[in-house]
Amino acid sequence: MSGIVVACLLFSLGLYGVLTRREIVAVLASIEVMLGGATLLLVVLSSTYGTGAGTAAGANTAASGQAVALLLLAVVAAEAAVGLAVLVSLVRHGKTGVDDIQRVRG
Amino acid sequence: MSAVSFWLIALVAIAGAWTVLVARETIRLIAGLGTFLLGIAGLYLRFAMPLLAASQVFLYVGGVLALFLFAIMALRRDEDRAGPAVRFSVVHASVAAGIFAVLVTALRDVGAASVDVTAGQDAVDAVGALLLGRFLPAFELVGGLLFVALVAVLAISAGEDRR
Repeated sequence: MSGIVVACLLFSLGLYGVLTRREIVAVLASIEVMLGGATLLLVVLSSTYGTGAGTAAGANTAASGQAVALLLLAVVAAEAAVGLAVLVSLVRHGKTGVDDIQRVRG
Repeated sequence: MSAVSFWLIALVAIAGAWTVLVARETIRLIAGLGTFLLGIAGLYLRFAMPLLAASQVFLYVGGVLALFLFAIMALRRDEDRAGPAVRFSVVHASVAAGIFAVLVTALRDVGAASVDVTAGQDAVDAVGALLLGRFLPAFELVGGLLFVALVAVLAISAGEDRR
């Protein structure tokens, strides 16, 4: 249960950061915190959920959780790379705040 | 492994996340993010998943964090600020607290049904067999996604210069 609480707390902290921070870097970092919390919840649930833990079925569930978390890791890496590329492109135009980019066009 | 060790590692992750929330200087923000990611890796270890913990350190702390640092250093401006001091917002805080309450309430039954972590869960071969077996379509999709992301990054950052 404590793992679930910590994961939800981290997700909420990240959400608060996304809502309040006005700098693109800080918003990106907050999104990373949210995704970290979500992945942690996945891992916690897969390793402790139900009565299967400790048995062969439980080990299989835990392995599935690890496999999905590994896939998620790659997705988050792609997200960070694209986000930072957009950031670099925006900063070249002198824009670093979320409020500076009300419009996005080609 | 006691509950004390779990809460110690969790505290490191929470402190890192808090630093990301309140840091005014960009470099502190990155340091907070690094602390958070290492804390998450520690929690993976605590849940007997060293493979995931190692991947987290290599990919996030070694890759994503370096990417963040590189982007910040390449764009270093005179004022190295991550914006003005973050003002406490009651509305945003209550939204975040509400989401937290909803999540914990929804997962309470699952948490009550959970059992403590047992040894022998780190079956690296089982994870590999799953990735190249049942999860093969997803695995291939992620590969495609990474390729598309690579092309997108090049198009976004190099396309600028051509215009």
